[in-house]
Amino acid sequence: MTDSLARCLALNELTEGLLTTVDFSIGAEQMRQFAELSGDFNPLHTDDAFARGKGFEGGRRVRRLADRQGVAADWHAPARRESVWASISLDFRRPLYVGQAAQVEGTVSSVSQGTGMVELALRVRASGKLLAKGSAEVLVGR
Amino acid sequence: MDPEYATLTEVFHEVFDDDSIVVTPELTARDVPEWDSLSHIRLVVTVEKKFSLKFSAAEVGRLKNVGEFMSLIRSKTGR
Repeated sequence: MTDSLARCLALNELTEGLLTTVDFSIGAEQMRQFAELSGDFNPLHTDDAFARGKGFEGGRRVRRLADRQGVAADWHAPARRESVWASISLDFRRPLYVGQAAQVEGTVSSVSQGTGMVELALRVRASGKLLAKGSAEVLVGR
Repeated sequence: MDPEYATLTEVFHEVFDDDSIVVTPELTARDVPEWDSLSHIRLVVTVEKKFSLKFSAAEVGRLKNVGEFMSLIRSKTGR
């Protein structure tokens, strides 16, 4: 399934096992905005030289993928303005570096037609390697 | 306690994080301060999983109290 097709789906078309992948990357400006918003100015996320000195050869790393909802946001695109994130949980396995191309893969794991709640299994990958995995719940508008 | 009500009580305690809630057929959202629209959805989804069943939007929309909810659960589980 293509991303554009996923955007056209309504709640009653979302079925268990449905899978799509969305490309993304997180830029330096987004990291700066995130630091200001969260108050997390850890130099591992904001200072290339410091991050490299700590063994992160790619420089500044993006730790809190989950805090950037865009990682999975396209998944509730069927009715984005009427949809609400109910939960998101990610376990981090490898760092994602600022500017690094990555993909988030979302698979519908359950659909509650009665309430509109859709559960997603999430996998974040870059260069074929797993960076994070987890799950999310999206309340999809009708 | 009726086993279905015992299970439903577990769900209520989990969803509302309040072990003092006494689940009776007459219980409604007005009786539980934390019972808002989002927690109502969480409640229904948790019941779907706990009892391994699914509800339609129309079924959920008709519910007036816990007694009606239990009747709906039993109609689907055949108990």
